[in-house]
Amino acid sequence: MPHQCTNCGHVFADGSKEMLSGCPDCGGNKFQYHPGDIPDEEPPADAEPPEQEGGSVTSAVGRAANRVRDAVTSDPSQPAARTSPDEPSTNDVDPDAVTAESSGIELGDSDPAAGETAGDAGDEQVSSAESASGAEPATGSEASPGASTPPGADTTRRSDTAPGADPDPSTNSSLGADPGADAQTGVDADMAEEEDTAQADARSEVVDRNSLPDAPSEGRVVKEPDEPENRPDLEDLRSELNDQFESIRIVAPGQYELNLMELYDRQEYIIALQEDGQYVIEVPDAWETDDE
Amino acid sequence: MGLFAELRSSISRVSASLFADDSEPKRIGIYGPPNAGKTTLANRIARDWTGDAVGPESHIPHETRRARRKENVEIKRNGKTVNIDIVDTPGVTTKVDYSEFLEHDMEKDEAVRRSREATEGVAEAMHWLREDVDGVIYVLDSTEDPFTQVNTMLIGIIESRDLPVLILANKTDLGESNIQRVSNAFPQHETIPLSALEGENMDEVYEKIAEYFG
Repeated sequence: MPHQCTNCGHVFADGSKEMLSGCPDCGGNKFQYHPGDIPDEEPPADAEPPEQEGGSVTSAVGRAANRVRDAVTSDPSQPAARTSPDEPSTNDVDPDAVTAESSGIELGDSDPAAGETAGDAGDEQVSSAESASGAEPATGSEASPGASTPPGADTTRRSDTAPGADPDPSTNSSLGADPGADAQTGVDADMAEEEDTAQADARSEVVDRNSLPDAPSEGRVVKEPDEPENRPDLEDLRSELNDQFESIRIVAPGQYELNLMELYDRQEYIIALQEDGQYVIEVPDAWETDDE
Repeated sequence: MGLFAELRSSISRVSASLFADDSEPKRIGIYGPPNAGKTTLANRIARDWTGDAVGPESHIPHETRRARRKENVEIKRNGKTVNIDIVDTPGVTTKVDYSEFLEHDMEKDEAVRRSREATEGVAEAMHWLREDVDGVIYVLDSTEDPFTQVNTMLIGIIESRDLPVLILANKTDLGESNIQRVSNAFPQHETIPLSALEGENMDEVYEKIAEYFG
């Protein structure tokens, strides 16, 4: 059973043609391909992460990017990558994937799996400067087709452990995220370059091999994962992020530097600075809810 | 380019006045660097036309740390009535340092707090500029050099939004006042000299307000 709907988890046999017209259960039209069987039990945390994990991380980032893009373009009718409540990896509860997901989405959508709404974030106190600036790179990615990993996302994930979260799993999650993303890229590449007989058979009824585009049309642009040993240290990243995205830099208590253009461009609105370098922002109404 | 900007702003003025809904007063933001006299001007306008004041004035920078609004200020000029909401905004700057307040006889704790509030005020002012103003009165201290990053950036943002803008060279009552320097800095806009404190040349200011924002 190599094909699986990424939306509801419905599994299709190799060579199945039902999925050509969308998932019969949820109508989803994104599927992932497993050369082997889908693992039934949790893989050990240190093992090579399964494809779903990469998928969930990249799609989480993609959804976040889409939501930010929606908010920026203020077009509520645009059906960007909406999540259905039971979406990803709930049927394959991998602690890493879940942590990566919840810590990966710092853009107001704290837990899509629970159907929680981004709109709730209205009064949300964002826990640090970085999490606010984490929204910014995603905003900049408006041109990318699906989900380009925002340049700050990875850093944000690593540097901002959610309050109360056990630091260990969160470290795992950030480390796991990149290989996971890599695995996802690998899957896409496989699909593009070599197809097995079942795929070829299914595809040939619809489209000729020669008319296929070189690249997968739904391909994800995923950031090249850094080698762990090449990662710049946290201080460098923080100052780089400050340079790029910070709208208010707290030099010392009572001493501030302001990036006016950033303050102006920002849709959310800083309403209160805290002594410890945190600030409270008001998230605009355009962060729509996901309550369907 | 200056001509183009002027043309553009006059077109936007005309179209704004054509499509303006008379029942809805225009919201005019008073912007400028700290200590340019924004609140003094806002108070002068409010007192002249409504009898109320907008907020406390002070010679210490960042006295205004929250945007303050005076609604439905009705200005009558040449038989024409202009109804505007005046928004007095905190002075916009790129750096806030509590130590500059210490020389104004302030305790450190209070200076730090003022500094924090001023920073929040700038964020608020920039947010209003993005969302909530239909026109801008840009107030400059004519004794100071107008070629600053803040002035250039704000005027640039205002121009990019096609908002009608009136540049006021304030503090003409002071000897060092140099109006020419202000009008040279922003040749694409009209510069009106005034002293908001003394009430000098307020007639022309109201005339221009009626012309630009009416």
